Amino acid sequence: MRRLFALALTLLAFIAVAENRELPPAPGKPRDFALPAAETMTLANGVSLTFIDYGSVPLVTVLAVVRTGNIDEGESTWLADVAVEMLKEGTTTRPAGNIARAAAGMGGSLSVAAGAEQTSVGISVLSEHAAAAADLVADVLRNPRFPESELPRVLANFERNLSVARSEPDSVAGEALAKLVYGDHPFGRALPAAGQLGTYDIASVRGFYERNFGARRTHVYVAGRYDRATLETALRRAFGDWREGAPPTDLPPKASDVLQLRLIDRPGAPQSSLRIAVPVPDPASALYFPTTLTNSLLGGTFTSRITTNLREDKGYSYSPSSSISAHRGDALWIMNAEITGEHTAAALTEIFREIERLQREPPAAGELDAIKRYRAGLFVIRNSSPEGVLGQLAFMDLHGLPPEFLTRWVANMYAVTPQQVTDIAQRFILPAHMTIVIVGDLKTIADSVRALPQLREAQMP
Amino acid sequence: MRNAGLRFWSGLLIAVAMSGCSIQPLKSAEESALPSGINVPIEYYKLGNGLKVVLAQDASAPTVTVGVYYRIGMRIEPRDRTGFAHLFEHLMFQGSTNLGKMEFIRLVEGNGGVVNGSTRFDFTNYFEIVPAHTLETILWAEADRMKGLAITQDNLANQQGVVKNEVNDNVLNQPYGGFPWLSMPQLANENWYNAHNFYGDLAHIDAATLEDARAFFDTYYSPGNAVLVVAGDFDATQARAWIGKYFAVLPARAQAARPDISEPPQTAEKRKSYVDPLAPRPGLAVAWHVPGRGTPEHYAFGLLDEILLQGEDSALWQKLVQQRGYSSSVAGGINLLGNMFNYDGPMLWTLYLVHDPNVAPDSILADIDAEIARIQNAPPTQAELDRALTKIRAELYDLAGSSDHFGLVDLLAAFALFDDDPTRINRIESEFRAVKPGMISEVARAYLQRSQRSVLILEPGRTQGGSQP
Repeated sequence: MRRLFALALTLLAFIAVAENRELPPAPGKPRDFALPAAETMTLANGVSLTFIDYGSVPLVTVLAVVRTGNIDEGESTWLADVAVEMLKEGTTTRPAGNIARAAAGMGGSLSVAAGAEQTSVGISVLSEHAAAAADLVADVLRNPRFPESELPRVLANFERNLSVARSEPDSVAGEALAKLVYGDHPFGRALPAAGQLGTYDIASVRGFYERNFGARRTHVYVAGRYDRATLETALRRAFGDWREGAPPTDLPPKASDVLQLRLIDRPGAPQSSLRIAVPVPDPASALYFPTTLTNSLLGGTFTSRITTNLREDKGYSYSPSSSISAHRGDALWIMNAEITGEHTAAALTEIFREIERLQREPPAAGELDAIKRYRAGLFVIRNSSPEGVLGQLAFMDLHGLPPEFLTRWVANMYAVTPQQVTDIAQRFILPAHMTIVIVGDLKTIADSVRALPQLREAQMP
Repeated sequence: MRNAGLRFWSGLLIAVAMSGCSIQPLKSAEESALPSGINVPIEYYKLGNGLKVVLAQDASAPTVTVGVYYRIGMRIEPRDRTGFAHLFEHLMFQGSTNLGKMEFIRLVEGNGGVVNGSTRFDFTNYFEIVPAHTLETILWAEADRMKGLAITQDNLANQQGVVKNEVNDNVLNQPYGGFPWLSMPQLANENWYNAHNFYGDLAHIDAATLEDARAFFDTYYSPGNAVLVVAGDFDATQARAWIGKYFAVLPARAQAARPDISEPPQTAEKRKSYVDPLAPRPGLAVAWHVPGRGTPEHYAFGLLDEILLQGEDSALWQKLVQQRGYSSSVAGGINLLGNMFNYDGPMLWTLYLVHDPNVAPDSILADIDAEIARIQNAPPTQAELDRALTKIRAELYDLAGSSDHFGLVDLLAAFALFDDDPTRINRIESEFRAVKPGMISEVARAYLQRSQRSVLILEPGRTQGGSQP
């Protein structure tokens, strides 16, 4: 029924549509924007400190970023996550409950997270507690108690989370994609195998910590409003005599660049979860900038080509989008879409069509200019906050980028030409190099997906 | 577990930030006295057509946030059109008097801004965070769609497809989809307005017509049923002139009568179990009805929520997570789709967790009961109360100082729309400080009886982690 009506193309305006449409008033003149100043120093043992003094409410964030994570766990998947979670279970002088109460008493909560290459321990508090927050972060990082009595509970939590992850289409697709793209590298193991978590004991947790935590891998960022002299003194006292430890691990992954297709059955699923990955220039490359702009135009914004096509034109998907996912020395262009099952092959066809169109012809200057203004606007929004700047600096530190990355960001972005965008699409966004994973109801989607001309040569690992 | 709510697009990332509204001199720990709290500069007025306007200046960054909130949420939607308030939110992006499909969003993104909309219990909001120099353009565009929509049958069909995909993304193809934010109101409430499926029956979404959309717009999307909030870097005189030029010219329209959305008092415990075919572990959710919004009891309940449930220092976290190890977290609060201020009607305080099959729901409930009984029997300790107030104070600073201004716009809109007084935002902290410890115990006794609770038990339909790919 709905289709019949749709064919009639009725236009039902709630009011009379203007005969001569009024144009939006033109924007005024852009205001000046200055990046918040950041000052960095390095202590004798290797701890780096960065101070960002910005903002006007009495809050401050203290965030320690340690260059470790899943990259250091070898085949012991999630050992980094378990060890980092155990940091919250108390220090030599504070039981776990005391940590939570002390954090709340400063107006914050301690956040502890293991990442692929960066692990963070941080807290945002009322400014008057800045020095105490620095002490708490340092205590948790330097003096963990690792109580054996708490490990079974923590492991049971990870076991439960793992079981939930295996029931979510997003996690199932992500695990398969990581395995196909990164193989035996730790980044290729997104989820532990059955029974694996149970093999970790307090010695393996402590061992991971001892091998991977120390001054040379640690950068402490503070951002917000605070008394600089008091906080710097507190940070020097708290971190200045920490052991140096090992330098960061240098183990960049090698991403697959052969066409692979993996179909995973989720019987009866109303949607297909589609993931596509292909290697692109990493943040240290001169080509990274035009690559991010290419992504914005292709699938990285609401008005991007793929998003508009799949959502606003076809109605196949709610939130299709692409992004650049980076490790040190490695980056992928990743496309995510949850698609109505029956339209899975059609949606893939549209994605390939948009990529091929961009490879064939450079975008019109007007289209690219709108994307540049969008990115410039987001740059201002993000860097108008101390925490936004903090995140950018941590990213730059991981990838070894110079200060000009940030200070010349807007100028570099505006300098990208339509031809450069098409060059990136031609050189890197190559269907023949893609890894594609689809989690869905295979009996209804598999044949039509396998029959797509772009996938005929695909390996089916 | 997703607590996704309903929104136009999931892709928007708001930069979380601090930069400020009220500049306060910094003090060292020794000199810090009792805080004066936030002091947001607020200008509030109404246009002849009834549109409420709130202006809050903060020139700390060259950005401005515009929010238009209509007083129509998912509670009040036609009975044979569940999910319509949310579908209509999507239609607001499909074309208006002078802007065709996609042109609104292109106007915002192409000028360096972000845009989104969402549907909540008692309002539907549309907001943009943009460079300050584009304010006039954005005001014009929001006024254009308040003036009227121009939607084709094709566009309606397109968004019906998008919304059904959104329901699948967030609910139907997810373990724990809608648990408990969609399922609990249906158990705990009696009045249909509070107890129906807010995401909507897919058949109802399919059945929606352009005529339905026209009627909905005429009934609820009038200037007198809305508030416009502008926060950030702008010149107030100029902003008032633009608002006059673009919004004051819209004609006033009759206001719809508001249905009775009150809930009868609950006198007996409710329990319901259901099987989630995709979930691998059991889930437990418990909810109680909270005191009327804005009353002293409501503020006391807000402190009770902080003490019992908010943060890892809270009593229930310490008991259920840290001591018992039932789960890696216990979550919840007043209004799972917002906060204790941005709604207008009956509301639930809900807590929930996912646990292991070897733990019976009743043993978890017994531990919850014990923590509640402790507060019912004796007021919280001074240390507990101080921590609760400190957490609230930091949250308020964060809200007032955030450079995206989104949380600020949201609270100003709620206080203007529901209380006709956005300056209430500056009195939140003093309202909390006026609560005596004894009142927290009284409120716990009056509102957290076992007979007043609803217990929702999610049974896993998936035996284990499932097949490994």
